[in-house]
Amino acid sequence: MTAIQILLIAGLALSAIYVYLKFQSVIADAIILLLFIAAGIIFVLFPQLTTKIANKLGVGRGTDLILYVCIVFFLFVLIRMYARIRKLEQTVTKIVRDNSMNAVVKNEKEKARN
Amino acid sequence: MENSSVYIIVPVFNEGFTIRKVVVSLLEYGFSVIVVDDASTDNSYSSIKDLNIHYLLHEVNLGQGAAIQTGIEYALTKGDAKIFATFDGDGQHRVEDIMEMITPIEKNEADIVMGSRFLPGAFSNASFIRKTAIQTARIINFLFTGLWLTDAHNGLRVFNRKTASLLDLKENGMAHASEILFRVAKYKLRVKEMPVHILYTDYSRKKGQSIFNGIKIFFDLVFNRIFD
Repeated sequence: MTAIQILLIAGLALSAIYVYLKFQSVIADAIILLLFIAAGIIFVLFPQLTTKIANKLGVGRGTDLILYVCIVFFLFVLIRMYARIRKLEQTVTKIVRDNSMNAVVKNEKEKARN
Repeated sequence: MENSSVYIIVPVFNEGFTIRKVVVSLLEYGFSVIVVDDASTDNSYSSIKDLNIHYLLHEVNLGQGAAIQTGIEYALTKGDAKIFATFDGDGQHRVEDIMEMITPIEKNEADIVMGSRFLPGAFSNASFIRKTAIQTARIINFLFTGLWLTDAHNGLRVFNRKTASLLDLKENGMAHASEILFRVAKYKLRVKEMPVHILYTDYSRKKGQSIFNGIKIFFDLVFNRIFD
């Protein structure tokens, strides 16, 4: 095994353990995670596989195919995260706005009482 | 119609230097003044807290658009509020201009009156760079809203209740100015421009918008359209 293969497999395995521990997953999640990691490890140990699949899809190299898939995947993740941040921003705005209006109402009630 | 039914919304972020003068001059005309403090860290509040104003405080800084929207929503709860206006707290705007701009709203000839630096009778000592930036903003506004106005992002606006209730600004940052135009176009509100005086001082120039802000506004507009 080459050095990069050891590094990649170690990285994948550690990520899997981290995700499983951090997110308190159920069995189904663990199985899905295992499948992804297994696929990752297989491609690391047998890079020729990626090339075969890539050729079938019309891509020259296996690594190129992995790159393309990663780009699309990351784009999807980025868009989803941006949407969530935007939603969060709107929630914060609503809370701050409501607080500011409630404070004024409270002040006006106190002024009226005095 | 009484001036007290005109509610002026002044969004404030660290305008301790000018805000008292601005508010006092507005109160002299008998307007109702709503100051929305966007979490200022200076003496803005202490310099005006003795004045007879409606004061709302954002506990964290959200942006001028959010401050204006808060002011509008609050003003809408006031039953005697017939006319609404946005006015800058840095002393750039002239209070007399509001009186002129109220007239078309009162006569129901327009739903929103926007101040313009580039109509005959207007005055502004803007620099050449700023003027160029504004012209660019005009074109971008046209592309996004279909409205071809003579000015862009002028903070002095006067509008009626119908417009106020339709605004519902989601842009917290400076892109709110374009969002206002977008709503105007969407709801086919009658818009009229009138010449105003804008006084750039060394103080207000420092707080003015840079080219970077313009680019940020553009990206805000593009990306947020996709996600809203």
